[in-house]
Amino acid sequence: MEPLASFFGLSATLLAIGIYGLATKRSAIRILFSVELIYNAANLNIVAFARLRNPPLVTGQVLVIFSIALAAMEAAVGLAIILLAFRLNSDIDLRKMTRLKG
Amino acid sequence: MPDIAFFGFAAVTVLGAILALESRDLVYGAVSLGVSFLGVASLFFLLDAAYIGVFQIAVYIGAVVILILFTVMLVGPAKGEGPTEFRRTALFIGILVAMMLGVGGALASPSAFSTNQPCTPECDLAQFSQSLLVTYSVQLAVLSLVFAAAVIGALTLAKSERGTA
Repeated sequence: MEPLASFFGLSATLLAIGIYGLATKRSAIRILFSVELIYNAANLNIVAFARLRNPPLVTGQVLVIFSIALAAMEAAVGLAIILLAFRLNSDIDLRKMTRLKG
Repeated sequence: MPDIAFFGFAAVTVLGAILALESRDLVYGAVSLGVSFLGVASLFFLLDAAYIGVFQIAVYIGAVVILILFTVMLVGPAKGEGPTEFRRTALFIGILVAMMLGVGGALASPSAFSTNQPCTPECDLAQFSQSLLVTYSVQLAVLSLVFAAAVIGALTLAKSERGTA
């Protein structure tokens, strides 16, 4: 099997791509994509660390099950908020949603 | 050949992630995101976590990507989303990403974490289900309640009010 460190490197790469998207994109749906990518990076990290232990630990996998389910809920609520914002503003450009700015 | 498998899946994951953020059309972006999730699921299989991989495929590709596709069809792209502006933020993000990749590369040096042992019976499915359904059964029940609350909340948010809209 591949050394587990490769999985950590890949996880860091996914996290970096996600942060790049969070900081540069303007569409709310792309921001949601970035959040999902960061979730995936974290899940990959947790599974790899659970595999690292001797003997391998199944609690890490249970934690990832919970994490994936929570990510699905977050996506559902986030998309509902995006729909609502589109109905109110007829646009989903996050840089233009400045109504709450003082 | 796990090496080739790992590099193939890693390439699929990273390319899918980049395409999801950079593709011109949001629909293609959503599909690329699904491909990236599929790559992560394959990596879970490589890590001897088969159930997590199946769960990832079912939840992410079966539910999240389909939900995103429907939303994209309803909403459409942001008006005037042009090519990425290269400004100070982009430079800052570039430096940050480079630093993170440096940390990842340092971790990925062959000396670090190289001891991994074959999967013993401790990490098989029976042990996993024992842990999920006996040790963490209360947490699982609470999770389902949270799920119900999230779905009701999402429905309430997205419901179109006939009077105002």
